[in-house]
Amino acid sequence: MKAKTSSSLSPWDIPESFQSLALKPVVVAVAGNPNVGKSTLINALAGVRLQVGNWPGVTVEKKTASCQYRGSRVVFVDLPGVYSLSPYSQEEIIARDFLISGEPDVIINVVDATNLERNIYFTLQLLEIGIPVIVALNMFDEAREKQFRIDTEAMATMLGADVIPTVATQREGLDTLLEKTLAAAAAPVGVKPAGVNYGSDIEEAVHRLSTDLLEREPGIMGKYPRRWLAIKVIEGDAGVLKAIGMAPEDPVRLSATRHLREAHGEDMESLVADLRYGLSSGLVREALSKPVRNKIELTERIDAVVLNRYFGLPFFFIAMWFIFKLTFDISAPFTDWIDGAVSGPLTRQAAFLLTGAGAPAWTVSLAAEGVIGGVGFVLAFTPAIFAMMFFITFLEGSGYMARAAFIMDRAMHAIGLHGRSFIPMLMGFGCNVPAIYATRTLENERDKALTALLIPLMSCGARLPVYVLFTAAFFTASAGTVLWSLYVLGIFLAVLVGMIFKKTLFRGASPLFIMELPPYRLPTLRSLTIHTWEKGKHFLIKAGTYIFAVTIIFWFLLNMPWGVVEKRDSYLGQAGQAMTTVFAPLGFGTWEAAASLISGVIAKEIVVGSMAQIYGVKDEKNKEEGNPSLVSDLKETGGYFFVACRQAVGNVFATIGVASLAAEEKEESAGLKPVLAKTFTPLSAYAFMAFVLLYMPCFVVLIAMRQEFGTWKWAGIAVLYQTGLAWGTAFVIYQGGRLIGLT
Amino acid sequence: MNLADLNPGQTGRVLKVSAVGPLKRRLMDMGIVPGAPAGMLKAAPLGDPIEITIKNYRLSLRRGEAEKIEVEIVS
Ligand SMILES: Nc1nc2c(ncn2[C@@H]2O[C@H](COP(=O)(O)OP(=O)(O)OP(=O)(O)O)[C@@H](O)[C@H]2O)c(=O)[nH]1
Ligand SMILES: [Mg+2]
Repeated sequence: MKAKTSSSLSPWDIPESFQSLALKPVVVAVAGNPNVGKSTLINALAGVRLQVGNWPGVTVEKKTASCQYRGSRVVFVDLPGVYSLSPYSQEEIIARDFLISGEPDVIINVVDATNLERNIYFTLQLLEIGIPVIVALNMFDEAREKQFRIDTEAMATMLGADVIPTVATQREGLDTLLEKTLAAAAAPVGVKPAGVNYGSDIEEAVHRLSTDLLEREPGIMGKYPRRWLAIKVIEGDAGVLKAIGMAPEDPVRLSATRHLREAHGEDMESLVADLRYGLSSGLVREALSKPVRNKIELTERIDAVVLNRYFGLPFFFIAMWFIFKLTFDISAPFTDWIDGAVSGPLTRQAAFLLTGAGAPAWTVSLAAEGVIGGVGFVLAFTPAIFAMMFFITFLEGSGYMARAAFIMDRAMHAIGLHGRSFIPMLMGFGCNVPAIYATRTLENERDKALTALLIPLMSCGARLPVYVLFTAAFFTASAGTVLWSLYVLGIFLAVLVGMIFKKTLFRGASPLFIMELPPYRLPTLRSLTIHTWEKGKHFLIKAGTYIFAVTIIFWFLLNMPWGVVEKRDSYLGQAGQAMTTVFAPLGFGTWEAAASLISGVIAKEIVVGSMAQIYGVKDEKNKEEGNPSLVSDLKETGGYFFVACRQAVGNVFATIGVASLAAEEKEESAGLKPVLAKTFTPLSAYAFMAFVLLYMPCFVVLIAMRQEFGTWKWAGIAVLYQTGLAWGTAFVIYQGGRLIGLT
Repeated sequence: MNLADLNPGQTGRVLKVSAVGPLKRRLMDMGIVPGAPAGMLKAAPLGDPIEITIKNYRLSLRRGEAEKIEVEIVS
């Protein structure tokens, strides 16, 4: 790789400060159909970690990344994948607007070499803009695998653009690509690419229109690429006509297209599309030769099973079940380990140090209970978060995610949604916040709003700590199943609520489902780790900053007014007490439960952190065991880590059926579990978990909704309906359970 | 006869796209234009949507949308 990130300058590079005076950075727009490897390419070129996944619509926002190459600063702009420059959805508008804005100096058009015809259809549209285009013939490894022979020379001649074979995942061809890109950017101003000839009929109309328009509206013509605008006006692109304030019956448009309409009928849009497809398939005929017989591909064979009429659905649900079970089984030993280390040695040593340094008792309590207790308890759940993110990353990377949308579309359609809404919802299992942003891939406002309202019912990773804690305390034997049932409860209620919303708030036609099914790809270990980390990091940062601050505030609420002895008399305790009657019919009418639910409004994992503080777990613990030395603490903690690893591996095999998980001897770990057993029953614990699953979304989700929709309306609706739903569901579970004799 | 009427394994040729507006535009952008061969692969486990091959890639769409695409059987 000759490309250098800005950190590794060679002696030949001009110092950066000089350059910024001397040279403007080269702005490279990276555009193409969805799922062709645009983000992968930029990651490889600029050494960044943009999100990548094997399904159309991963990138929904414009993202930039830059690198230093032969003394020039190159800024890459990753755009959402689009099929044409006539946009309908938000992310298509983002891509189109940037491409015609005049900002990019060059366009790298990433093309899927195994799917040339449709990709070139888009290349032709990019060439209409008039900025130099470099075609990156990506996925070239897959094309080779299929024994495609592609004559890049012929392609380049026909398109009037450089064509460079690349394999973004293996960094193949990237040097040449960068070189050609910079050469194109350095071409003298005014030398425009020739463009592809659309035939005399259309070229005449284009010429007429641009001259007429230039004469009549020079202002408008200055704002857009000229050839592109003329073609859009001929097509009658509704969005463009509106933007330039032109009616479809405008005399200039009518007179320029008269010959065309006489010869080919009124449908200019189809005419132009046909023409581009004609050119594109002509090019493919010339430049591509395929083996005579296609062998049956792996993707087809896998799909024959996982999309099978009879096995498809069971497979889907079993796969989901395995994921949740594995998440739990792999992470549980590590969770216990962190839990033990934080509530034992870490708290002990911190308190020891602070007391030794002569700190007042309340600071010791703030540090030990407030900060280490609160943050530590949340940190203990990072293993579960990372395990879950790992599986989601794998689903995204393999291509099964798109199949999930395909399988679930019929069901989603019943609640007035698109199978694609299933993807943001599935992401919601990781964290609701990115899932809310992912609704951008949906085509209309109605869909986005309805999906966003249902996403919080998808149980996010932040709720997992609560489940893990309670299942471990009350349902050791059937932990995996209980966990799974909560996720299913969320999905079931989402369907129910969706059907009600469809008939009330969201009447109107439901959206189209036209989606590409990508071939299966095996995600590399490297990309799995990077993207799991990128997703999980979000949680760690949250735990480190936000939750850190919040637990301190909570410590104060719990220990104020100044000098309270009993926690129930603190501000939070008082608020909790005021709420107990509301929660009593649900089986957890204690002020402790109420107070932790109030705190969970900030972020649901805080429920666990504040429970730790409220129940004052650490105090008891420290009294029980004297004060072992730092060395013995370290040794012990280190040793337990290996035990945890061994258990995790053992659990994986248990899941697969080699041994039974129930047989595992669970050591009673320190912390909350014994205290909980005194105040909850299994039934009320389940009702509590259901309440945590359903009640109002956390603050961050509400802010995301506000950002995405520009109004508090949907956030407000979410708060109201979810809290009502949570109360109703927990009521039915607890009272219903008692009726049939459960405790 | 329309695209949704094809049986799995059958191939047709697109005659006309009778959709209008954004749907039509989207179908065209995805390669469903008159003259293009379109093969039926399978239906989803719940019966809808369907998966077809067009322009040498796999595309899925709902029956409701496929019904707006007129085809003639080729094989
Ligand atoms: N075999 C192979 N796979 C690739 C190559 N480039 C990218 N991929 C894979 O293709 C998939 C899509 O890559 P992305 O970079 O997310 O594609 P994108 O164009 O940014 O997609 P959107 O953001 O959805 O428009 C991922 O699974 C990549 O690992 C390549 O050259 N060869
Ligand atoms: Mg992308």
